[in-house]
Amino acid sequence: MPTIKLPTPLRRFTGQTKTFDTAAATVGEALEALASQFPDIRGALYTDTGDVKSFIRVFLGDQDIEGLQGLQTPLAADAVVSIFPPIAGA
Amino acid sequence: MLELTEWELEKYKRQIMIPDFGVEGQRKLKNAAVLVTRLGGLGGPAAIWLAAAGIGKLVIAHGGTLTPSNLNRQILMRADGVGQSRIDQAVETLQRFSADTEVIAYGAHANDQNAAEWVAQVDVVCDTSPEFGERLALNRECWRQGKVLVDSGMNGMECQLTVIRPPDTPCLQCLVPELPDWWDPLGFGVLGAVSGALGALTALEAIKMITGYGQPLLGRMLTYDTEDLTFQTFDLHRRPGCPVCGES
Repeated sequence: MPTIKLPTPLRRFTGQTKTFDTAAATVGEALEALASQFPDIRGALYTDTGDVKSFIRVFLGDQDIEGLQGLQTPLAADAVVSIFPPIAGA
Repeated sequence: MLELTEWELEKYKRQIMIPDFGVEGQRKLKNAAVLVTRLGGLGGPAAIWLAAAGIGKLVIAHGGTLTPSNLNRQILMRADGVGQSRIDQAVETLQRFSADTEVIAYGAHANDQNAAEWVAQVDVVCDTSPEFGERLALNRECWRQGKVLVDSGMNGMECQLTVIRPPDTPCLQCLVPELPDWWDPLGFGVLGAVSGALGALTALEAIKMITGYGQPLLGRMLTYDTEDLTFQTFDLHRRPGCPVCGES
């Protein structure tokens, strides 16, 4: 089953959950499933019009989905999706 | 170009021994200048490792005074310095450790008003601020002046590091086209060992860019999670229409 790895700054929206397994067929469906399971994360990931926020980078394995098929990128059963918001400082 | 003295050849002989680094790499460090903005858990270790490596000039910047909660990670500070200027303590520590390094200090944070003057004095900028606005101001000025920006950040146990070189790589504005509305610059825990390790890598990337040694993270981002020590490197892409680098 595909897995989404959640970065630390977004875990406060998921009750500190670090990974999320989903049966979604595409990256976009996986993110939507995540937001449905954890409604508080929706505002951190999506704009009011439903687009993924511009500073959120999503990777499938080690590839930015922008270089693949974007949110339509299909997911294999063992896919690992990583979300990378920008982070700063110490 | 300034030549190395006998003292410097002896002091730095262990890094001069590194294949492909050598005397020429050391000479380049002596003749280089680096700006480190913020001297906290990340910038402090970056600054001291740059000084230790023999950078000729360090320009450092940090506003404010020391608080007790800074002391788990801000290694340029002193326990008896709580309530006192952080920049003064940083200068004292750096010069005590490496008197060969010229240190120019500013007791303020970077912004659109001072970034041009600060960036103009150096070859490489190491940006370690917790504030995205500050980072983006430095990014704009580095891009305008054609200076290398080593950008590192952390959150909890996770770290990110990349090297930006105009006009070859995407810029920071490509990665942060708008400010994350949920970002809280002091809203996460920090272990000094985590920020210190990233500070050391930040210094290393600056050293690589100055000396030409190795393969720096140009156009790539290193991300790692120190909780389980998983490391990944990603290629970065220029954002179409980026107002900073999009016309290059």
